[in-house]
Amino acid sequence: MSGARTAGASRLESAAAATAFQKEWFLRLAERARAGEPIALANADAPHELLRALGIPYVVNQWWSSIISAKRAGPASLAAVAAQGMPDDSRQYDVLPLGAQDLGDTDAPWGGLPEPRFAIAERSGDVTHKIFERWGRRPGTETFLLSRTAAVPAPAGWWDRVAHDWEDVFGAARIDLLEGEIRMLAATLEQRVGRALDHGRLAEIMALANEQAEWNRRTRDLLAAARPLPVAVTDIIPAVMVPQWHRGTAWAVEAARRLHDEVARRIDEGHAVHDGERRRLMWIGRGLWSDLDMYRSFQEEFGAVFVWSMYLAIAADGYARYGDDPKRALAARFVGLTDLLYVPPMSSSWYVKEALAHGVDGVVHLVADDTPAPGVITSALEERGIPVLEIRASNADPRATGDVRERIAGFVRERVPAAR
Amino acid sequence: MTTSAPVIGVVGNDVPRQLLLAVGGHPHRLTGSWEGDIDPVAQQLLGATDVAVTRLLTELREEARAVDGLVVCNDSQAHLRLFYVLRATAPELPLHLLDMPRDDSEPARRFARFQLEALAAFCSGLTGRALDDASLADAAVVEAALGDALRRLRVRRRADPPQCSGAGALDAILDAARLAPSEAVSRIDAAQTSVPAGVTRVHMTGSSHPDAAFYRELERDGRCVVVSEDHDTGDAAWLGPAASGATVAEVIEGLIDAHFERVTTSATATSADRVALTREVAQAAGADVVAAVVRDLDEGPLWDLADQRAALEGRPLISVRVTPGAETESARELVRGLVGPAVPA
Repeated sequence: MSGARTAGASRLESAAAATAFQKEWFLRLAERARAGEPIALANADAPHELLRALGIPYVVNQWWSSIISAKRAGPASLAAVAAQGMPDDSRQYDVLPLGAQDLGDTDAPWGGLPEPRFAIAERSGDVTHKIFERWGRRPGTETFLLSRTAAVPAPAGWWDRVAHDWEDVFGAARIDLLEGEIRMLAATLEQRVGRALDHGRLAEIMALANEQAEWNRRTRDLLAAARPLPVAVTDIIPAVMVPQWHRGTAWAVEAARRLHDEVARRIDEGHAVHDGERRRLMWIGRGLWSDLDMYRSFQEEFGAVFVWSMYLAIAADGYARYGDDPKRALAARFVGLTDLLYVPPMSSSWYVKEALAHGVDGVVHLVADDTPAPGVITSALEERGIPVLEIRASNADPRATGDVRERIAGFVRERVPAAR
Repeated sequence: MTTSAPVIGVVGNDVPRQLLLAVGGHPHRLTGSWEGDIDPVAQQLLGATDVAVTRLLTELREEARAVDGLVVCNDSQAHLRLFYVLRATAPELPLHLLDMPRDDSEPARRFARFQLEALAAFCSGLTGRALDDASLADAAVVEAALGDALRRLRVRRRADPPQCSGAGALDAILDAARLAPSEAVSRIDAAQTSVPAGVTRVHMTGSSHPDAAFYRELERDGRCVVVSEDHDTGDAAWLGPAASGATVAEVIEGLIDAHFERVTTSATATSADRVALTREVAQAAGADVVAAVVRDLDEGPLWDLADQRAALEGRPLISVRVTPGAETESARELVRGLVGPAVPA
């Protein structure tokens, strides 16, 4: 590291650029969709690369949910869900976009999402398939569901193996099933849009996505080693996630490289998010989009900075899949991606690895209703001497997260001693 | 099969018992309970999970050796969590996940074949007996006999007046899923009780019932009787189906056919399929009213309610959400709704 330390937080240029790009991209996409071009709504763990290779623009359900939340349209969207006789306290993060379709152009963020031609999801949990069943009942929308097999096997220490050794990490039978379903989906989409899938194009997209993941890995490694934290986690999240939803494009690779270079430059310049950093915190779980200021609100009183979220870390460790057959590699990318985040021992061993690498002093673990076996993750961290605060709430429901700041403050005060 | 056969615990409703019986195993379904202690550690490990499954984990942690091995079905998020937690915390328990796909296709059938073969191999490892044609045929006969007994029970429940209470039927079905096949047939056939004419006939949908406590509370004052249900610990439990074939492979194909033909639990089936089942069974049973009992954190059934209300063609639907500790009060509230002025759907 060189140069004098600079504190404070001018926004990361990469984050500002990504956010601006995303809004422009969405408005252009919406315009094209309203002009008749078929678009897709895809869940985060659906095989987006197939849509890209077929030239079908797509919006990611969870990303759109985060926008709805951040624009404070969550309560009205949930009210619309309830008005249809569905529960408004179940799977809010997945259902917000369905509710937002009823808000009207003026109340929905950015003029609203045009009706998608295709809705595509994996069958995660007890309800995702029912939410997407509802999408399929909307006029003009056709739903496709992919299987979501369970994490058997589930090896610890997967992060060093998964990019190349994915057949063993996930098991060939699971990959066979998803690969077969991706092939069926491809055939149906080809028929619907009247275009043939170009396998060479899909291979290029997979290669670009791998390149993007490699930049993310380098960025994550820089941040893990940096003391003090040079970039706010709230800047890292959009700078990683917007390109994630454009995975497989040259723009996304360039965005990931730009983020890496900017982080490296800030480290070289001695930048610190908070000059009095005394406690380093890890945030496990989805982002609290409705209150992003929360992440910075413990700096002055406690010298506590959030140094880690899953978004960069899983982008670094979880996405790369190398292989000669792009459809099979694509199946391997998604067959167990969520398991890496949530299923022990894959999840628990990974969080411990990341916490140690980042020098974390305490962990806030936001446990949504759909988080399996959270206690195993918490126990694994506590066993390594890292205190954990579990907060059971949906990140998409402001009604459930009203006291988060107070609880974190109490946790830091009582259980996270200043390490420096 | 004798009672000394290795006991194979079964969690969930996807297991073709024929395979377990054919290798000399004793299938024993585990469901948890409506009421009972909850181990705080079990609760912390599972997270936000259907309390019936949290109670089941509590039981398993207390009596880990009550079964010789455990098969858990990936037929709900709660069951899958239970599997993940046991895998992480109970290494001494022989444990297997049955992960059956939901949408019929060639890749799904290939995966289902892999799953059933792996299930048979796990159970063979517990019993020391391999799967063979003759034992599969024998198992098909005894399992089919249980299916016949269940059909007889269904007829008794649908009679007017019913010849078996809902609680009596549910007790018998749950027992049958735990007894040796010949005893199970006797147990089902013995389920006969006198029910007065003119009571409100109820079809039960929503969450599965881990035991008959809720039914008993519902029927306590004699104003209601549960004549049918579509949840998977009652009449929709996968008891009875068996496949015939000249080879092991043919039998497995037959079981895969049967798996894809049935309507599975709410957590895995579409709302459209679930609603069609509710309507068909309630109609066949001559139910006056449909009761949807949904346990807190058992989310699947909640998403079916709107469709159910719309599809029941004049038959009222009364729903109640049950939170832990309020089971009895919820049952009483439901009775008040069932026998009070009905609101047509």
